[in-house]
Formats: sequence, C-alpha cells, structure tokens
Amino acid sequence: MEFRDFSLFISQAKITRFAKDLAEGRIMSTVCRRCGKAYYPPQADCSSCMGSEMEWKELNGEGRLVTFTRIHVPPEHFAVRQPLMPFSSIQFEPCPIGLIEVEKGLRIMGWIPKMEIKKIKVGMKMKASPFRLPDGKLTIVLEPLNT
Amino acid sequence: MKKVAIVGVGHGKFGVRSDASLRELVFEAVKACLEDAGVSLNEVESMVTGVACDEFSFNIQPSAQVHDYIGFHPKPNFRVEAACATGSVALRTGWMQIASGLADMVLVVGVEKMTEVTTSIATEIMGRAGDAIWEYPFGTTFPGYYAMIANAHMAEYGTTEEQLAMVAVKNHYYGCLNPCAHMQKEVTLEKALTSFPVAYPLKLYDCSLITDGAAAVLLASEERAKAISKKPVWMVGLGLATDTLRLGDRESLTSLRAAREAARMAYKMAGIGPSDIDVATVHDCFTIAEIVAYEDLGFCEKGEGGRLIEAKETYVEGRIPVNVDGGLKSKGHPLGATGVSMAIEITKQLRGEAGPRQVKDPEIGLTHNVGGSGQIALVHIFRRE
Repeated sequence: MEFRDFSLFISQAKITRFAKDLAEGRIMSTVCRRCGKAYYPPQADCSSCMGSEMEWKELNGEGRLVTFTRIHVPPEHFAVRQPLMPFSSIQFEPCPIGLIEVEKGLRIMGWIPKMEIKKIKVGMKMKASPFRLPDGKLTIVLEPLNT
Repeated sequence: MKKVAIVGVGHGKFGVRSDASLRELVFEAVKACLEDAGVSLNEVESMVTGVACDEFSFNIQPSAQVHDYIGFHPKPNFRVEAACATGSVALRTGWMQIASGLADMVLVVGVEKMTEVTTSIATEIMGRAGDAIWEYPFGTTFPGYYAMIANAHMAEYGTTEEQLAMVAVKNHYYGCLNPCAHMQKEVTLEKALTSFPVAYPLKLYDCSLITDGAAAVLLASEERAKAISKKPVWMVGLGLATDTLRLGDRESLTSLRAAREAARMAYKMAGIGPSDIDVATVHDCFTIAEIVAYEDLGFCEKGEGGRLIEAKETYVEGRIPVNVDGGLKSKGHPLGATGVSMAIEITKQLRGEAGPRQVKDPEIGLTHNVGGSGQIALVHIFRRE
C-alpha cells in the first residue's frame, strides 16, 4: 500500500501511514500530544504550538454536509477518453463530491456516489468511509445517514 | 514612505492569441505603456514580472524571456507568483521598490499565455492550485472550488442561480464596450441559465475564460510623477492577506477571509471606507466570486450580494459600479496579467478615459484580486489628484 494510491501524485510524506489505515478501513486524524490540537487531514507537525509529537486517532466519520458540487468538466487526469469505436461516445455522468464536518473544524472531503445532485442538501447528516476503487486506488465516500 | 503613482498604462488585446508568444504579448503591453507615459525604457530603473504558471509558459524563468525581448538587461527584473493574484503581487512589489526609495521608476508587467495547453490540461493545472494531496484526488477543479462556495452561499443566504447569471449578463455587456476584452458578446439571462454545467451550480457563463494576454503599468515616485505626468493616479491603500490552503479548513465558506482582511488594511491605509469607493474591479473568476466580493469589500451587507446585482447597483449608473471593463468573466483571465489589468481599468476611470463605460467623475477606485480559491487576496485603493 503506497501513499500515492490515495494522493495520486505525491509519493512520500511524514503521514504516509494514513493510506495504510485507509486501506484497513479507518480514517485517521492526528492530535498534538503537547497542546491537543486535532488535524484532519493529519499533520506530522503542529502549527499551533510548533510541536512534532503527534498521536494518531481514528475519526468516527459522521457529520454534517458543509458544501458540495458536481464537476462536469474534469481535469485531464480524470477526463473520460472517447472510446475507439467510431461514431460512438460514452455518456459521462460525474459523481458529486462534498465536505462533511465531523468535529469542530475537521472536515473530510469525499465522493458522494449514491445521490442525485438535486437531493444533496447542505446540513444533511452523512458518514465518511474509506473505499477501494476497482483500480486498487483508495478514496473516501460520503453516504447519507438515515435519521 | 514615498508616495507612488501610476504614470503609464498599456493593455494588450486579451483573447486566444495564437498569433503571439508570451514575450511578444509583453512587448505590445510595454510599448503601449511607455507611449502612454511618454517615457523611454532607458528612464526605467527596475522591473517586476508577474507570471503565474510555468506549466503554461514551458519555462522556469519566464521573466528572463520578458526582459530579454524588451531589451531591459542588465537592469533588475524578477518574477513574482501568486496564482490568479500574481498581477497584484507584481504591482505591490513595484510599489515597494518606490515606497522604500530603492527606485524612482518601476515597470510592472503581468502576462500569461494559457492557450499553449488544451482546456482539460489547463483545468488540471489550475485544479492542482488547491491542495494537490488532499483535494485534487477528488477531481477538484477551479470551478469546483467556487461551486462549493456558491452552494454554501445559496444554502446560507438564499442566493439564486438567476442572481449569479445576472453578474454574467452585466460583465458581458461591459465586455462588449472594452476593445481589449476577450469575449465581445452579450449574453441574455436565459442563455446564461441554460448554458452547459461546468461544476454544479456553475454553468458555462458563470466562469471566466482561459485567456492569453499581457498588461503593463509604469510606477513613479512623487517627484518623478509630477515631472512627467499630467494625470498621475496615486496608490493610496494596499492590503494583502492570506488564508488556509484547503477550502475545507476555512472558518467560512461564504466569504473569503483573506479578502476581508486585505480590504480592512487597504481602507485603513487610505483613511477611507467602502462608501467612498466610486468604481471597483473585483475578482469575478466566477460569478459567485463577484457576489462574495461585494460583501467582503463592504459594498453591501453579508448575504446581500445577490440582491445588489439584482438591483443593478453595480452597473455604471448604480451606487457602486463594479467590473465595468467586463471583468475576468468577459475580458478574460490571463492569470499573471489580471491584477495589472484591473489597475489599468481603474487608472483609466480615474483619468476619465474609459470611453463608453466611463463612470461619472470618479475620484477613488479599488481593485480586489484573489489568488486560488482565496489562499491570498490583495486590495489596492487608487486616487486621482
């Protein structure tokens, strides 16, 4: 399991373990042992007290949707290529993405694969979970919680 | 601190400039700027070049192309970068050289040649201007970031897609009156609302353009400005502030803290407030960004931006005319050139040279230029004599 399976481009970081945990089903944050400040995305260093002794802590992943969108014009990396068959095209139906706040100030970005865009509302309760894509890459999905 | 004035402006044609390279675009703008100032390049002591992105310029030192092609060597020139706010950082850097006494006459150039790459590659390059590790893997693009701001603003304040489209209608209308604008085409509300989706809820006409272009201004100290210029425009307030790299870490998703803070600094330095501004150019990379800018600059209350455009208060005849040069939306947004272009429009307005889009007798103007999704923002305030 490599960090790049999550980050796509960047191979190394001090918090590379994040990807391993994600592969095992956990979304991890870090907490500063000195001043208690929590970080998601996890940081190896604390910008609040300039300490570098951090503790890993699993996030429960439940929170409220802060905002969302659905990107119709994707970057080159995500662009769907035309099939080789002449006179044919694939219908591109992009997946929405969103941000949920799971603790005060801690927000997780993820794909929202199971919802129509018109039904997604700011403020709705959702849960973030790790997800392994068919190509082996790791990502995070957000799903609505029925409450 | 020495006083600093804009004494010359030169604005190249913005658009898909397949007829010119980066350095050739700069030459057009610099030549026009020196002619406007009535100054030869020999009299200029120093230069700053704003170019946002090496991946468009295919050159890790694009400033060298620039000083080489206009024959400025061996005098000082260096490149500055702040994504979409690059041009304003270049202007601020030029201002610093004069205010500090380091130079009396500084040329500030902003340029970007964006159409060297395809739209999807340009989209990827700009998408990675957020957090390349934590945001980009979710397919984020620049429209995507502002779409998330739009959805948050709509949920909190009831801003509508129609109000967003009204910004496009205004800016396209004024773009038609600006010969340097990329897009010389009016758009109706209906057409804007039914254009194809780019990032929900933003549609084609909510988005600024991928554009080539260059702009240049000549700055001078008070002594030099008074000697060479009949209509110097003084830089009387400057603000620059920053915010988190990731959109998700912001305290608010409906306002840009960096812009609010930069505005506070600039107003304080100029000793004025929002109601003193007669004309403004703001960073409308997307229509929602103009609405948020109205609020962050204090042109209206928080959450009232949609209603300000609905009441047409930001047209030339309105209470506070904004982006009457077409804005990024219609004039185009060549990243490095944008901040310089904004200052040029304000200079022309304050000189009374804005032609059919002239605001009535303005005394004080403002520019608001944002880098990325709000990681940096600069506000500059200008005043005529």
